[in-house]
Amino acid sequence: MSVVDYTQELSVVEGKPALRSLDDIISKPLETKPDKKFYIALSITLSMLGLFVIGLGLTFWYGIGMWGNNNPVGWAFDIVNFVFWVGIGHAGTLISAILFLFRQKWRTGIARFAEGMTIFAVMTALLFPLIHVGRPWLDGWLMPYPNQHGLWVNFTSPLLWDVFAVSTYFMVSLIFWYVGLIPDFATLRERASTKIKKVIYSTFSLGWRFSNRHWQHYEMVYLILAGFATPLVLSVHTIVSFDFAVSILPGWHTTIFPPYFVAGAVFSGFAMVQNVLIFVRRIFNYEHIITLDTLEKMNKIMLVTGSMVGYAYAMEFFIAWYSGVQPEQFTFLNRAFGPYAWAYWIMVTCNVITPQLFWFKKIRRSIPVMFIVAVFVNVGMWFERFVIVVTSLSRDYLPSSWAYYKPTYVDAMILIGSFGFFFTWILLFTKALPVVSIAEVKAVVDDAQPSHKDH
Amino acid sequence: MSDKILYSYTGIFDTPDEIIHAAEKTSEYGFKKYDVHTPYPLHGMNKAMKLPPSKLGYVALVVGLSGALAALLLMFWMSAVDYPIIIGGKPFFSFPAYVPVMFEVTVLSAAIATVLTMLFIFFKLPNNAHPLHDTDYMKEVSSNKYGISIQAEDEKFSEEQVKIFLTGLGAKEITAVYYDNEEINYKHKILEPKFIGFLLFTALLTSGVSYFVLNKLLYMPPFDWMMEQDKLNPQATSTLFTDGYGMREPIEGTISRGHLPYLFKGQPDAAEINLANPLPFTKPVLEMGQKKYDTFCSPCHGYHGEGDSRLRGQFPNPPSLHSEKIRNWKDGRIFHVITDGQNVMPSYSSQMTTEERWAVVNYIRVLQRALNAKESDLK
Amino acid sequence: MSSTHNVEYQKKELPAKIRTIGLVLFVIGLIGVVASYLTDSSRSAFNNIIMLSFLTSVGLGSLFLVAVEYVAGAVWSTPFRRIPEFLSTILLVLPVVVVPLLFKLGDIFHWMHPEVVEADKILKGKAPYLNVEFFMVRVVLFILLWIVFYYFIARTSKKQDSTFDPSLTKKNIKLSAAFIPVFGITISFFAFDWLMSLEPHWFSTIFGVYYFSGSILAAFAAVTFVVVMLNENGYLIKGLTNDHYYSLGAFMFAFTNFWAYIAFSQFLLIWYANLPEETFWFLQRWEGNWIYYTIGLIFIRFAIPYFGLLSQPSKMDSKRLKIMSVWLLFAHWYDLYWLAMPNYSKDGILFSWIEIAFPLLTVGIVILLFVQLSKKNNLVAIGDPKLKRGIDFRL
Repeated sequence: MSVVDYTQELSVVEGKPALRSLDDIISKPLETKPDKKFYIALSITLSMLGLFVIGLGLTFWYGIGMWGNNNPVGWAFDIVNFVFWVGIGHAGTLISAILFLFRQKWRTGIARFAEGMTIFAVMTALLFPLIHVGRPWLDGWLMPYPNQHGLWVNFTSPLLWDVFAVSTYFMVSLIFWYVGLIPDFATLRERASTKIKKVIYSTFSLGWRFSNRHWQHYEMVYLILAGFATPLVLSVHTIVSFDFAVSILPGWHTTIFPPYFVAGAVFSGFAMVQNVLIFVRRIFNYEHIITLDTLEKMNKIMLVTGSMVGYAYAMEFFIAWYSGVQPEQFTFLNRAFGPYAWAYWIMVTCNVITPQLFWFKKIRRSIPVMFIVAVFVNVGMWFERFVIVVTSLSRDYLPSSWAYYKPTYVDAMILIGSFGFFFTWILLFTKALPVVSIAEVKAVVDDAQPSHKDH
Repeated sequence: MSDKILYSYTGIFDTPDEIIHAAEKTSEYGFKKYDVHTPYPLHGMNKAMKLPPSKLGYVALVVGLSGALAALLLMFWMSAVDYPIIIGGKPFFSFPAYVPVMFEVTVLSAAIATVLTMLFIFFKLPNNAHPLHDTDYMKEVSSNKYGISIQAEDEKFSEEQVKIFLTGLGAKEITAVYYDNEEINYKHKILEPKFIGFLLFTALLTSGVSYFVLNKLLYMPPFDWMMEQDKLNPQATSTLFTDGYGMREPIEGTISRGHLPYLFKGQPDAAEINLANPLPFTKPVLEMGQKKYDTFCSPCHGYHGEGDSRLRGQFPNPPSLHSEKIRNWKDGRIFHVITDGQNVMPSYSSQMTTEERWAVVNYIRVLQRALNAKESDLK
Repeated sequence: MSSTHNVEYQKKELPAKIRTIGLVLFVIGLIGVVASYLTDSSRSAFNNIIMLSFLTSVGLGSLFLVAVEYVAGAVWSTPFRRIPEFLSTILLVLPVVVVPLLFKLGDIFHWMHPEVVEADKILKGKAPYLNVEFFMVRVVLFILLWIVFYYFIARTSKKQDSTFDPSLTKKNIKLSAAFIPVFGITISFFAFDWLMSLEPHWFSTIFGVYYFSGSILAAFAAVTFVVVMLNENGYLIKGLTNDHYYSLGAFMFAFTNFWAYIAFSQFLLIWYANLPEETFWFLQRWEGNWIYYTIGLIFIRFAIPYFGLLSQPSKMDSKRLKIMSVWLLFAHWYDLYWLAMPNYSKDGILFSWIEIAFPLLTVGIVILLFVQLSKKNNLVAIGDPKLKRGIDFRL
C-alpha cells in the first residue's frame, strides 16, 4: 500500500499550466459557438422549463386547488421544493466563502461554478414562496412598505424572516459572485475580438486595471464578504428551519433543526455540485483544474455532513422517546411504519447508508460510483424534506384530522420544471461567463506566488 | 505629431519574485505615484509596496452596526408603536423574534455598502477611460505577466532616470504611455450630468411603475377578482328586493338557535309558581352567579344587594334585595324579574343565558343569607 | 520546493515556577474541595459536575482537535499539535474526578430515587435510560473509550518523534476517522447524562451540540493560551508567525459565533412555541437573581469575545489572544455553572469559596499534568512529515 507523501503540498492545479493557457482554456467556451451537444442539452432543459411555465400558468389561473395540498397537509411540494433548492444553493457559498476562510486552495477550481449554482438555485427557490400564495400578484405585501391599510408585516413570523433571509442571501451571493467576476471580465476585455464584446466586457469589468493598490482593497472586501457570507448561509437555512421548528407540531418542534438543516443543505448542495462538475470538467476539458483530488475532498465533506444528518436523526429519535411526549413518539413511529413509510425508508437508505460508502478511498475516487452516490443523496435529501413536512402534517395531534396527501400532475410538472429552470440558467452561464475563476486559479498554480525568503 | 501628455513609463516582468523585488526597490527609491499590475494578487506585494492596511473593514463595521440598529428601531416602531397587534400571545416588542431580521439587515447593508464604497469611492470605478487601457501592457498584465508603471506626476520622475531605473530592475518592454484625448478630460463618471440624469430617470420610472402597479393595476381584472366578489356585503344594495335593501329582517317568528321563548312574559305570579331553580348550590355555580351579578346587577343594586350602588344619585336606587318581601319570593319570581324586567329595570334576558340567571338567583340567596345570618349559620 | 528550512527544536524544561504555581493551586484547590465536601456536600457535588464537564470539554475537545487535524490534513496546526495531545491527557484524570460524584448520585439526580420515579409517569417512561445501572455503564464506557482512543493516538504521535515514519501518520488518520463519530455520540450522551438529566423533565435535541460548541471553544482557548505562552518564551519550534496565531484567533472567533448561534436557536425555539414542558427550564434561569447571571452570559460568552476578536490584528496579537483565551475559559466555566447550578439552587446564584476551590483545583491539575508530560515528551511533534509545511504556512 503506497504511502502518501505528507511533506509535499498537493498541487491544486495539476501540471503547472502556463498562465496564458489558463486564459485560453477557460475562455474557450465563451469564444466559440455552441456545438450540437449544447443545443441538445439546452433543448432538454428548455422542455422541462416549458413544463414549469405550464404548471405555473395553470396554478395562477385556476388557483392552488390544482395542487394536491389539502387539510391538514397545507404545505407539501411547494415548501419541500423551496427548502430543497435553498439547500442546494448553500454548497456554493460554502465552497466560496467558508473554504476561503479556511484557506483551502482546492476551492479555486470550483468556486465560480458553485457560486453560480448558488445564485440559480436561490432564484429557483425564491419562486416557490412567491407562487404558493393564493394571489401571487400581491407578493409585494411580503415587504414592509408604507401602505394605505396602515399595515405592517408580522416581524415575529419566520415566514417573514425567510423573506429577508433569502433576499439577502440572493443579493449578497450575487454581489460576491460579481466582485469575483470583475478581474475576469477585465481579462476577457483584453482578449475581446469584436467591438460588441469589448464594450460589454468593459462595462461589466468597470474598467478594472489589475492594479495592486486595487487588489489590496479587493482582497479585504473579498475577505469581508466571505466573512459575512459564512454566517449568512448558516442563518438562511436556520431561518428556513425555523419555519418548522417554531411551531408546536410534533416532528417539527425540535431544537436541533437549525444545525441539522444547515448540515443537510450543505450535504445536498455538495451532491448537486459534484454531479454537475463531473459533467463540466469532462465537457470543457478542465480535468487538470477541477481535479480528482477536489472531487475526493467534496466527497469527504459529503461524508461528514451526511453523518451529521444521521446524528440528527438519531438525536431526534432518542429525545422523542426520552421526552415522554406521546405525540412526539407517535410521530417518529408513524414516519417509519405509517402510510409514508416508503418515503421514510428511501430517505434513510439514501441519506444515512449511501454516504457511508465514502469511507472507502476507492469509492471516493471513482467517478461513476461517486456520481451515483451523489444522485442518491439528492433524492434522499428531497425525500427528507418530504418526510418532515408531509408526514408531520398528515398525522398530527387530532386523529380526526388525519388525511393522506397525494401530489397532482401540476405538482409534478412544477417539480420537474424547477430542474429545467435551474439547468437552463446553468447552461446559459457556461456560455456567457467563465465557469472557472481565471484570476483565482492563476494564483494557486505552483510557483505562482513569490517564494519566502525572509520568514 | 501632436504633443501628447505622458502618463507613465511601464515595464514588464516575467516572474513573481522579480516583480516583488521591483516593487520593493521602487518604494525604497522613494517613488510614491506608481503602481504594480498583476493578473492576480501576489502575497507580500502589499508589504513590498509599503501600503497601509485597507480601511474597508471599518466601513463594514459602521454600516453593519447602523443597519442592525436601524432595523431594530424600525421593527420596534412598526410592531409596538404604529400598529400593535397581539400575535401568539407574545409582547408587542419581542426582541428575540427581531434578531433574525436584524442579522440579515446587518449583513445586507454591510455587504452592499462595503462593495459600493470600494468600487465607487476607493477605486473611482467605473472608469474605462484610463490611459493604461488599450495598451499592450494591459494585455499582458491581464494575462500572464507582471508589470510596474511609474507615473509622470511623481516628484522624482524624470524620463531618463526612470528608464535607467526600470532597466536596472530587469524590466522588459519599457514603454511610455500617453493620455488619449478623451482620457485627459476625464472626470469621475458618477457626478456627470448624464449619469445623474440617468439616476433621476430610473428613480422616476421605478416610483411611477410602483405607483401604477400598487394603486391602479392591482384594482384591475384579473387581480381584483378577490376584491369584486358576487356575494352581498353588509349595507350593500340589492336589486332582488323591491325595497332595494340587501340586508333583510328575520322572518316573523324567527328565534335564535338554542333559544326557548319565555312562557311567562308579564306574568310574575305564574312564573313564581311554575319555575323551579334547576341549579344546585355548588361552588362553580355560585362563582358564576357572583361574576354575573357583579357585572350586570351591581351597577344598580350594589355589590351586596342593598341598593346603594355606585350609581348613587344618578339613577333611581332600586329597593334593597334584603327586604322581607323579596326574601319571601320564590326563586322563580326573582328569575322572572331578571328575565322580564320590572318598572325601571329592563329585561336582562339578552345579556345572560337562562343558566346564568338561575346562578345569579342562587347568589342573591347567598347574599340574603349573609345579611340575615342566624346564630346557627356560624357552626 | 523553495524553502530550505531546518527544523530547529530543542527540548527545554519548563521553568520550575510553573510547576510551583500548579502545585500551589492544586493543594489549595484540593483542600478547598475536601473542605467543601465536608461542609456542603450537595453543593460541592454540583460544582464537581461542573468541574467534570469542564475537564471533559478541554480534554475531549483537545483530542477532537487532534483528530480533525489528522483527518483534514491541516498543516497550520502541526507545529503545535503536541499541545492538544498533552491536554487530552486530562481524560486520564476523569475517572478520579467522577469518583466523589458516585457517592452523591442520589442527591444530584432526582431520577435516582425509585419512589420519585414510581410517582412520576414521565420519569417512569425514561427509566430504561435513566437508571443507575445503565448510567454507570455509560459513565464507565465513555471514559474508557475516550482513554483508549487517546492512548493509541497519542502513542502513535509520540512514536513518530523518534522513528519519523510517515505510515504512522496514516495510522493516526485512520484512528482519528474512527474516533470522530464515537466522539459525536459519546459527547452528546455525556452532556445528556450529567447536565441535561439534572432536570429530568426537560429535553432539547440540540443539547449535545450546545455542549460540543462550548467544549471546542474551551479546547481552542486552552490550546491558544498554552501555544502563545510557550512560543513567546521559545519552548516551541522556531518559525511560528502571526499567521499561525491568526488561525487560532479566527477559530476562537468562529466558535464564539457558533456557540451563540446554537444557544440562541435553542432559546428562540423554546421561547416561540411557549410549551410549558420546555420553557420552565429557561424560566428557572430568569428567576431571582439568576436573571442577572443569564444576561451576563450573553455578554461574557458572546459580546465581549466577539468584539474582542473581531478585527484582523486582534486575532494575531499575542497579548490579545492570551487575554481572550483565558476569558473564554472563564466564560466556559460560567456557562457550565449556568447549566448546572440552577437545578440545585432555585433561589439564586451561589457564590463563595466553594465555587472558587473547584476551578483552582482544575487549573492546578491541568498545569501539573502538563508540566509532568513536558518532562518526558517533546513539546513539538518533531517527527511529523507535515511539520515543515506547517512552519512554512502562511495565510
